[in-house]
Amino acid sequence: MSRPRVLWTLLIALVATLFSFGAAQSAQQQTLVIGGDWTDLITLDPGVAYEFSPVPILDNTYQRLVQFQGTDLSHVVPDAATSWDIASTADGGSTITFHLADATFSTGRPLTAADVVWSFDRVIQINGPSAFLFTDVAGMKVGSTKALDDHTVQLTLPKGVNPQIVLNMLTFNIGGIMDATEVQKHVDANDYGQKWLNDHSAGSGPYMLDRWDRGSQVVLVVNPHYPKPPAIKRIILRYMQESNAQRTALKSGEIDIAYNFTPDAFKEAESDPSLNAIKTDTFQMAYLGMNSGPNAPFADNRVRDAVRYAIDQDGIINDLLAGLGRKMQTIIPYGLMGADTNVYFPHDLEKAKQLMAEAGKSGGMSVEFLIATGACTGGVPCADLAAKIQSDLAKIGITANIKQTTSAQLYTIYRQQAAQLVLAAWSPDYPDPNGNASPLADYNAKSLAWRNDWNDATATKLATEAATSTDPATRKELYAQLTKYVAENGPFAMLYQPVYPIVTSAKVQGFARSAQGDVDYTAITKLP
Amino acid sequence: MLAFLLRRIGYLIFVVWGVGFAAFFISHVVPADPAAAALGSNARPAQIEAYREKYGLDLPVYQQYLRYMVNLFQGDLGNSLRTQRPILSDLRDFFPATFELTLGAMFFAALFGVPAGVIAALYQDRPIDLGVRSLALVGGATPVYWLAILALELFHSRLGWLPGPGELNPYLLEPHRVTGMLVVDAALAGEWQVFGSAVSHLVLPAAVLGAFSTALLARMVRSAMLEVLSQDYVRTARAKGLAGRVVVFKHAMRNAALPVLTVMGSLLGSLLTGAVLTETIFSWPGIGSYATSSAIGLDFPAVMGVTLVAGLVYSLINLLVDVLYGVFDPRITYA
Repeated sequence: MSRPRVLWTLLIALVATLFSFGAAQSAQQQTLVIGGDWTDLITLDPGVAYEFSPVPILDNTYQRLVQFQGTDLSHVVPDAATSWDIASTADGGSTITFHLADATFSTGRPLTAADVVWSFDRVIQINGPSAFLFTDVAGMKVGSTKALDDHTVQLTLPKGVNPQIVLNMLTFNIGGIMDATEVQKHVDANDYGQKWLNDHSAGSGPYMLDRWDRGSQVVLVVNPHYPKPPAIKRIILRYMQESNAQRTALKSGEIDIAYNFTPDAFKEAESDPSLNAIKTDTFQMAYLGMNSGPNAPFADNRVRDAVRYAIDQDGIINDLLAGLGRKMQTIIPYGLMGADTNVYFPHDLEKAKQLMAEAGKSGGMSVEFLIATGACTGGVPCADLAAKIQSDLAKIGITANIKQTTSAQLYTIYRQQAAQLVLAAWSPDYPDPNGNASPLADYNAKSLAWRNDWNDATATKLATEAATSTDPATRKELYAQLTKYVAENGPFAMLYQPVYPIVTSAKVQGFARSAQGDVDYTAITKLP
Repeated sequence: MLAFLLRRIGYLIFVVWGVGFAAFFISHVVPADPAAAALGSNARPAQIEAYREKYGLDLPVYQQYLRYMVNLFQGDLGNSLRTQRPILSDLRDFFPATFELTLGAMFFAALFGVPAGVIAALYQDRPIDLGVRSLALVGGATPVYWLAILALELFHSRLGWLPGPGELNPYLLEPHRVTGMLVVDAALAGEWQVFGSAVSHLVLPAAVLGAFSTALLARMVRSAMLEVLSQDYVRTARAKGLAGRVVVFKHAMRNAALPVLTVMGSLLGSLLTGAVLTETIFSWPGIGSYATSSAIGLDFPAVMGVTLVAGLVYSLINLLVDVLYGVFDPRITYA
């Protein structure tokens, strides 16, 4: 290129840049840009995805049979199914018969019962990380879902499976219904179309996937066949790992919503009239796991109780989380049916010391305290949280020697029942109290109770009964007993239930995020 | 020349193999379980077992290595445990952004570092030289993450001169992907609006990433120039009455170019592999953020892929530098 040409090119580029601001302005009101750390996005296949970030993407691209309305997770409402009937079967199991609404996939094909059957069977055949929800929790097999006619689907559940739990579970992206004909056209080497579904969608939700540029952005556009066109025509999820970058971009209007504000920045945003600082609920819980096996340091429940009395939860929530958390001490968090918000262990160092003495540990004890690198749930650095706990425990004679590893390494150790004291987090796999009760109370579920080597017959029995009871009132009563029992006897010292801080531009209206992570993009509008 | 090239390519293969070998065994002695990492904290033991079997993670390390090498010779870097995609597609997606950022940083470093060094040498020990040297010291000693946050706050938030994090104004559509480098692709597609936005988004991260290199380059150029300027042939050239401009640009700079070239080569390599922090802060979708997520997620095949490519690029740059020696200094021959 000769020198004048280079100069001309640069000049044109400059002019074009100036024009670009004007052109972009008109598109802005119909485009919603969300900045966040989406690095946990691995797949956009609803039958496989089992991470946090894909939840709102998939829920807006694929209809499920039933869904939750907004942030209310107490009962399901229709989605692709207009109504459903639950009936018992002769062998003690049950059936749920769904009556489908008229819906059209983004491909233009109508949604039929056959698509539901194919989508559900596909989940079981792929056997991805979320498939256990169908196979283990719901006891489903290939063939459990049948099309009675084009508009009626029947799901047969075996004895012992609670249809109420299954309905709650079907709201999750695993229940997403895809256009079977379309996906089958793109199957590559028996992959059930998994590869294709990372760059395309085949659902009947209000949006469809336009593109996923790994590490850069996910773009959704309106499904042209969706009956009620939403106000926002394009949704862009921009990868922004760094919270300062999100803050800067939100202030300058490059993004409309930021997902990862630090507690300090959130506090600042609360008093900024150009921003809306929203505390959204989560089902996450930060907890201390105490190994309670026969020869483990926390084998004696009095020592575990002492820890529960010694932890200064208010200090953690107010100082470390800057108020972005709820105090909780039981295994069923706020927001779920059966939530128990009682305080069983008020902060009481004298009581804690007395319990240590009763357990014969007045001389103190020393344990290895396993924590992860990076931030713990709620955004507080794990190292800071651990230091606070370490100092709380030191006051009752427990020396907690902090050992920091990557979270992947931490879970490797934890899963081998090899952690003495661990700082970890939990969130239920599906929004039903059993999503917590079974893993945290039932040793046989081989989850948290097992990892802490806590094998307790009473807890197992209560958890199993509550899981199989179909009467909501009975379940509630059973969970009340279970939460109290585990709070007082279990291997956990619960720390807090974080709230998820989200900051939006004041121009954004109608944004709400459910504790499951779901966001209804169709409810959002943007002021000019 | 040909024999030289062939020999060097032979070395290069050996170096890359060595890097890969070390990376493979280091990553496999880490006492953590990639299967557990990939399946998340709620996964059950049976799921983890099945996963290990599926990806051959239950085999002895030497068998896993053999398997890896056999695939590698067929041009297959394997699949990422995390993204479930071929590593090659992942690298194709992430590498161009880093390359673009690195070239931007190098351009910035050359644009400011070389003239600063030349001027400092010409005015040795005068205020301007002192200024350049002090700036170079500060530039070399400033941590990149701090500089990044500061630059973002000042030039984007406060002054509003430059756009914030990311590669492009989000309201613009990305051009058709050809090279993967947004600036180039936009220019190829003739989408000047996108081009302008992409260039303006590149300025801050490139300047931040290039700051250290600029400082280093300025110091290298200065000392190389000082050395050359004290040589007999420069004095002779001056004595012959040649204009100062000709002496500096034709005689001195060309001879000072060799050490500078070496530094630029290794700088380019380290920029490519050292862009992690800059990429994170500027939300740049490059290989740095990919490598970080892969390492944290214990995605060994992806870490291996990144390591091999980084090793290859580093070696290629070194080779290029050696070839360029001959261009700048005809006395160097390749036997």
